[in-house]
Amino acid sequence: MSRIFWVVFGKETLSFLRSIGLVAAVLYSFTADIYIAGKGIQITPRNVKIGYVDDTGGGISQKILSRLHKPEFLPPRRFKSQEALSRAIFDKEILVGILFDQDFEKDFRQGKKAQLNLLLDATAASQSFTTLGYLQNIVMDFSRPNFPVVIKSHKLFNQNADNHSFMALTEMLSVITLLIVILTAVVFVREKEEGTWDIMLLMPVNPKLIILAKSLSQVMIVMAGVLLALGFVIFGAFDTPMNGSFWAFMLLTFFYSFSSAGIGLFVAAVSKSTMQVAQLSIVIMMPLIFLSGAWTPIYAMHPVLQFLSLFSPLRYYIEGSESIFFRGTDLIDLWPYFGGVLLLGVLLYWYGFRKIGKLF
Amino acid sequence: MKRSVVKAYILKEFTELFRSKLIIMVYLMPSMIMLLFGYGIHMEVTHARTLIIDNDQSHFSRMLTAKFEHSTYFNAEVTLMSETEALHRIKQAKADIIVIIPSSFEKRLLHGQKSEIGVFVDGAFPNRGMTMESYVQGVILDTAQQIGGTLGKRGGMITVNSRNLFNQAMRDEDAIVPGLIGLVLLVAPAILSALMIVKEKERGTIFNFYASPLGRGEFLAAKLIPGFLLHSLNIFILFLWATELFGVPFRGSFWLYWLAAEIYILISLSIGMLISVITKQQIVAVVLTIIITIIPGFLYSGILMPISSMAGESYIEAHLFPVMYFNHIVYDSFLAGTGLASAKTVEYLGILILYAVIFLTLGTFLLKKELK
Repeated sequence: MSRIFWVVFGKETLSFLRSIGLVAAVLYSFTADIYIAGKGIQITPRNVKIGYVDDTGGGISQKILSRLHKPEFLPPRRFKSQEALSRAIFDKEILVGILFDQDFEKDFRQGKKAQLNLLLDATAASQSFTTLGYLQNIVMDFSRPNFPVVIKSHKLFNQNADNHSFMALTEMLSVITLLIVILTAVVFVREKEEGTWDIMLLMPVNPKLIILAKSLSQVMIVMAGVLLALGFVIFGAFDTPMNGSFWAFMLLTFFYSFSSAGIGLFVAAVSKSTMQVAQLSIVIMMPLIFLSGAWTPIYAMHPVLQFLSLFSPLRYYIEGSESIFFRGTDLIDLWPYFGGVLLLGVLLYWYGFRKIGKLF
Repeated sequence: MKRSVVKAYILKEFTELFRSKLIIMVYLMPSMIMLLFGYGIHMEVTHARTLIIDNDQSHFSRMLTAKFEHSTYFNAEVTLMSETEALHRIKQAKADIIVIIPSSFEKRLLHGQKSEIGVFVDGAFPNRGMTMESYVQGVILDTAQQIGGTLGKRGGMITVNSRNLFNQAMRDEDAIVPGLIGLVLLVAPAILSALMIVKEKERGTIFNFYASPLGRGEFLAAKLIPGFLLHSLNIFILFLWATELFGVPFRGSFWLYWLAAEIYILISLSIGMLISVITKQQIVAVVLTIIITIIPGFLYSGILMPISSMAGESYIEAHLFPVMYFNHIVYDSFLAGTGLASAKTVEYLGILILYAVIFLTLGTFLLKKELK
């Protein structure tokens, strides 16, 4: 029994290694792709281009402007009139415009409410949000001596809001999902396309054994990729902190890979060609990724979506991984994530098993 | 030009698309991505689960907690649990924010002494962490201003009054949905065309082409035209979703949007075709196309961050991918409406045409019409 298992397992691993193009594509996804995703996005403002119109004498306005410095902001550019400033924003040369009107300084000196007008390019909404927050802080800071309250603020787990390791980690989780579903599905569909799958099922070998061996081989390929990605990119290039247990993460990844392989089995059972696999897995994976809470926290979603997200194994996996990496959650507190991934994994796998294991 | 052969090829591709039911995917996938992303992504943070530890229980501290309770940004819960217990709640991902009001809060304020409020924010999601932090600071400073008012403190106050151009209400939909068109029209056509040629290679039917009187350019045209025609309809479908369902305003010229989108579809089809020409196995083509299109399509679309504030390598990479140029035109036609009057739009339109020409010629050169 176990000999058959290992022969099938070895055959699939070998045929993967022999296809140089595929090995290269998988290597690329686990290294360069994650690196690009991690490197590419910096959510804290960088090099924000500021323009201003100053109709005051320039005492306080200059003091405020001098607080906008590198690396967040480029040196502010002065404009003659509001029209010139607006035009520059339209051409995307300027992201934030500050207007100091004539009464600004007078009001401030007299202790009245002084108003600072801002023009934001809202086509870059997230950037505008953060820049607005920055500016508000600077302005508040400027007039803080009048405030009796001090805020002592801490961002837990990631004090500098370092976005690189976060993006790289999220990307790795998506790559794992993507590859395991497609690889598993294609392993089966290729046999279906060539007509050898029916023969496989007709042979006096337990089809469950073949299915298990085939999917385990793909799971192991992805696990090897995960190790590479962790070593070279996540820990190597981005220096991601690991506040929890490494082995807990690997175990969670292993379980998750199996539950995704279950999705792959289902895709393989439904589709007849690689083309269909490609389209179907995207149609299935997109909702999976978007219901996982990677982009929007689950409790802020529509109630229907919140309910649906309970069925996405990725949800438990992403929450679990982030807890392990950043929050350093204890093993005992991780049980909901392990439980969710395992339960859905068993269900998906069982369903895929039945679908693909049937002859006609 | 062997028009009848090309026509036969196109007819064959169309029939195959219909028979394999791929035609459903051609129209299902773009709309699905659009709806999921459009409803799924929110930059704004609402209902952040906030624990307020009120050690003071005074008039002022209640003023502060009331502010949190009345805001839709927070789901505030006033408790008396210990700090470590609250931190543990964050570790279990059951809370996002802790606000700690010290015990002598009111007394110190009445004596004009400074009083310190502790704020802990879950920073595991950096973007969300930063947004939540600034919300909390806003609420507290707002209350402080009020308290300062009741205490009769005087002094210059600066308020920030911001006006958002193009997107007055700062609606997430307006900021995200136009960018999605750029993403969808990159991914969907590319995946469709990526398998077109490699499929024949894997099955061996490519020999039909080797033996046929068809030229390389004609073969590519026959392969691309069905996808091009089918996806052209998606330009309108996506436009309708954006304006009718998500209520995004359209201020520019529809002709410009249409023209740019058609060129853009041609680019994405030829990206898929290039992958198809290079690879030997279907699965490699699938994985490569998804990885190459989805990630840059999302990163460099301008949805998450403006290209102008990227630095170093990502700035260069952003300019290498066609998404950026197309999305500039799309955002412009939806939200700003300057159209061809802006020199930048004309320049970017030119760059898009250049991309299409380069990719198509490259594909023609790389495609082989004989055995190696």
